[in-house]
Order: sequence, then C-alpha cells, then structure tokens
Amino acid sequence: MTPDVQDAIDEIKQHFRGLNVLVGPDKDGGACVIVEGVGLGAPYAQPDSWIGFHITHACPYADVYPHFVRHDLSRIDKNALGEAISPGHNFPQPGVVVGDALPSRPAIQLSRRANKREPNSDLETPLLKTLKVLRWLMSR
Amino acid sequence: MLRANFIRDRILECRDEKLAYLAIHNHGGTTSVSFSPDDYASHERGYPALLDVARGVPVGALVFAPRAVAGDIWLPDGTRVELVDGSIIGRRLRRIGPTLPSYAGSIDPDFDRQVRLFGDAGQAILAGATVAIIGLGGVGSLLAEFLSRLGVGHFILIDPERIEGTNRPRVIGATRWNARTWFTRDPWPKWIQRIARNTASYKVDIAARVIRRASKHATIERLKADVLDPKVAKRLLDCDYMFLAADTMRARLLINAIVHQYLIPAVQVGSKVVHDKDSGEITGVHTITRPITPECGCLWCNQLINRAKLQEEAQTERERQAQRYVDEQTIVAPSVITLNAVGAAQAANDFLFYMTGLASDEASTAYMRFDPRKRSVSLDSPRRSWDCTECGIGPKGRLARGDAGKRLPTFHEGD
Ligand SMILES: [Zn+2]
Ligand SMILES: [Zn+2]
Repeated sequence: MTPDVQDAIDEIKQHFRGLNVLVGPDKDGGACVIVEGVGLGAPYAQPDSWIGFHITHACPYADVYPHFVRHDLSRIDKNALGEAISPGHNFPQPGVVVGDALPSRPAIQLSRRANKREPNSDLETPLLKTLKVLRWLMSR
Repeated sequence: MLRANFIRDRILECRDEKLAYLAIHNHGGTTSVSFSPDDYASHERGYPALLDVARGVPVGALVFAPRAVAGDIWLPDGTRVELVDGSIIGRRLRRIGPTLPSYAGSIDPDFDRQVRLFGDAGQAILAGATVAIIGLGGVGSLLAEFLSRLGVGHFILIDPERIEGTNRPRVIGATRWNARTWFTRDPWPKWIQRIARNTASYKVDIAARVIRRASKHATIERLKADVLDPKVAKRLLDCDYMFLAADTMRARLLINAIVHQYLIPAVQVGSKVVHDKDSGEITGVHTITRPITPECGCLWCNQLINRAKLQEEAQTERERQAQRYVDEQTIVAPSVITLNAVGAAQAANDFLFYMTGLASDEASTAYMRFDPRKRSVSLDSPRRSWDCTECGIGPKGRLARGDAGKRLPTFHEGD
C-alpha cells in the first residue's frame, strides 16, 4: 500500500477504535476497507452495519466513493431506501483485493460522489468522507 | 558579511525542510564568472563545519554575473562539485553556466529555413532537447511529426495501447495493416478479430517510425506502459518538456505534480465535442491547449482534476461496470484530426519559443480554447493558490522540492 493509503487506514482504525477494521490491499497500492459494527438504528431496522469502501492508489486526491453497507438494510417505516441507495451489489468486487484477504459479500451501494474539492481547503480524507456518508445515510 | 548565527539558523531551516543551503553573491563581468581566491578560501574554512550542522543536506555557494553562474557545492558525504550549468525558467528557458555555452557540431543544412528564425544556437538547443509525449493517439502522433521535423533530438514516447482501425483517420503514419483493419471486423470470426486486435501495432512504434522518417539521428525511447508505472514516471524527470496528450485525470495529476516538483514545463492538449444530454444536439466543439508551468497555477488549483473521475479511473473495469447507473452508458467521444491539429500546433509552438528563448517576456500564460464553429479563441488565466498541495510553496506543496518532496502520485512502487 502507498504511504498515503496506509495513513488513511491508520486514521480510520484510530477513529473506529474497538470496532473490527478489515483491510484487503489491491495490486496498485490501494486497499478495500470494511469497518464492522458501525451503529445504525432509527430510521433503519438494523442496530448496526458494516461499511466498506475502496481507497484507491489515487488517495488522497481521489474522492472515496461509493460506499457499501449490509445487503439487508431496511427502514423501520417500511418505505423504500430511496435515491442513491441501491441493493444487489457486492463488496469488494471479485478480483480487486489481492489473494483472499477480504472475501466478497452481498451489499447495498451508497452513491455519494464529489467531483470538486473546495479551493483553499484541505482534502477530505477517506475517514471524513465515510463519516459524511454515514451522517447522510442516517438523515434519510 | 553574514553573521555566524544568521547562517546557522538558515542551515537549520534547510535541514528541517530537506533543502540545500546556497549562499549567493554577484561578481562583475557579463558572460563569464568564477569565484575569487578569497571566496574559495572562505568556503574551505567554513563549509566543513556547516556540513556538520546541515546533517544530510548539501551546502554551497553560487556566484552570478548577468549571463553566467558558477557554483561550489559540498555534498553531505564530503565530496565537492562544481556547477556545470543552471536553467532560468519562466516564459522562456535560459541556460547559463560559468561561461557562455558553445554549440559545437554542424547544423544540418536542411534546417536552413528555420535556422533563419532560431539561429544555429536555437537549432542546437532543439537537437539537445528531450521531450516526452504521453499518449500517441490523435494529438500525440501529430506532436511526434511536428517535433521531429523541427529537429528535436530525443524522444520519450509513452503509450500502452495498440492502434485500432478507428484511430487511423487521426494517427499520422498509421496504416491499415498496422491496425489489422480487415480482420477486426465482421464477417471474420470473433477469435480472429481478437487475434488481429492483439497483434496490431503499438502506437509508440508507429510514432517512432514517423520520427525516424523525419530524423535519422533522433534517439527514441518507446515505453509501452502506463505513465503511472513508477519506472515510467521516473523517466519523465530527465525531460526538458512534457506533452500530455492522453486525457485521463490520473495522468493530469501526475504530470501536474512533476511540473511543480521538478520544474519541468508541460502542456496539456485535447479537443472535446459536447452534446446536449437529452436532444443529442452538439452544443460545443473546442480544442484546448493548457500550459502547465511552475510559474502559473496548476491543474489542481484550477479544478481541472475531477476527484470522482480519479476514483473511477483507479478502480477496476469490473467495479466501474457494477457501479454504473443504467442511464450512464459509455459514450464514444467524437475526435477529428484537424481539431487536434490546432491544439498540437499551438503546444509545439509554445515549446519551440520557450526552449529557444524567443518567447516574449509578456507572453500570456493563459489556457487557450479554440472554437472552430465560432472561429474564436478565448483565453482563461489560471488561478493559483499558494497553499495548494501541488503548486504551493512550503513543505505542504511540491514547488521546487525535487527528490526531497512528496511521493509522486503513481502506482505503488513495489516488487
Ligand atoms: Zn566573490
Ligand atoms: Zn495548484
């Protein structure tokens, strides 16, 4: 993994201390990461979920997207999950992670993409992006 | 006289930021310069102690005259080197050294008509120049033709791809045979089509042939690999100029970083046809030439590197397929040789006038956008933010940091 990807993962492990953080390196210096047991609850029927994402070798420049969560995510109010939340995916995609460090699992995809960066501001790290996506998910 | 405390503080700053410490002064004269015996005596007295303080970074001195520079530089391992030459960058390049550079060797009389513009010295500069062309498709192949005809001496050609039939109308020197055109289409069976595509000529080989036709003497390095391969990216550090003719966000990010970290100018060239999403109607046709130079803002500052696209490019094809929305199909972009030619010619001219020192002091650094439908050219001045992670100054940025700077945004250097 590149030093930047390693730093990003260290920051994630630091933040989610106590949770299980799984890491599967890809062949170009990036890695797929899964944090298990992130708290959910209302508006969702499940108390927690794993969240996964691919930090590519283009870290810290690339926007980390999309994110993936448990495949059986559902709302307490039985409504549809809504825009930018799509079932029927897998994470990681087969062939991305080198070896079998991180087997693929069924997932729901969260598509939150940021094209631009704010001028004159520090780059959003994979951790900050992930927290932003989680906040967004909980606000649906 | 510099006080000992002042010097020590500066050296400590250099040590923290991994910079060389250079003390600079002037002498009389114009086209040649050297240190005085007193200068040398003071270096020999002082520099061994300064090297101890510097712990791992070089210390030394430069002495300037208006058109000359000499240097006495002490390296961390104790060896002492003389400066051979230096480059002054900006709107145009000036090379200076302890004496005026002499251009030995004869100029090919075939260059007569352009020597009348550049002079023998200018023509010799081109012969000594090393250029990299990243992407040898429509834009890159034109650049190979232009630059080799101009007499550029050294080429580094980077492109992992093989030619296809649909490239042929834009790629100089490409033949039907190179593209195996007949065999890549129906009614040939799929397996024959696949073999044909997999044995078609590499784009860098076609470009090398174009260059060879123009110049017997040019040296040509062909790299059939991704520019993000760390070994390939490293080759760029030996260039005088880089032509970015492969339009991916990752290549933009890398070339942009090298420009500012290693002070090697580049230019990004591309043309684009924009359609209205719903009606399919063409809403814009333009060719863009964007100089990327250490003196003006960078592609990152100017929002020309899309973070989401960077992520998509760094993912596998399978990931991209799986994530794509139903309405987002892969669109094959239009591309036309004459549109590419406008941008490629402008880029080659920018290089030419920069290298030969003929560019005007007031030369614009703006991005140029040519619109052939309106027959108009628009200029867009790049913005710069000094705290940019790429072109910014200080340890956070890359500007002029060289090997001591941040890691280049390539694939992982590994086994
Ligand atoms: Zn002196
Ligand atoms: Zn910048």
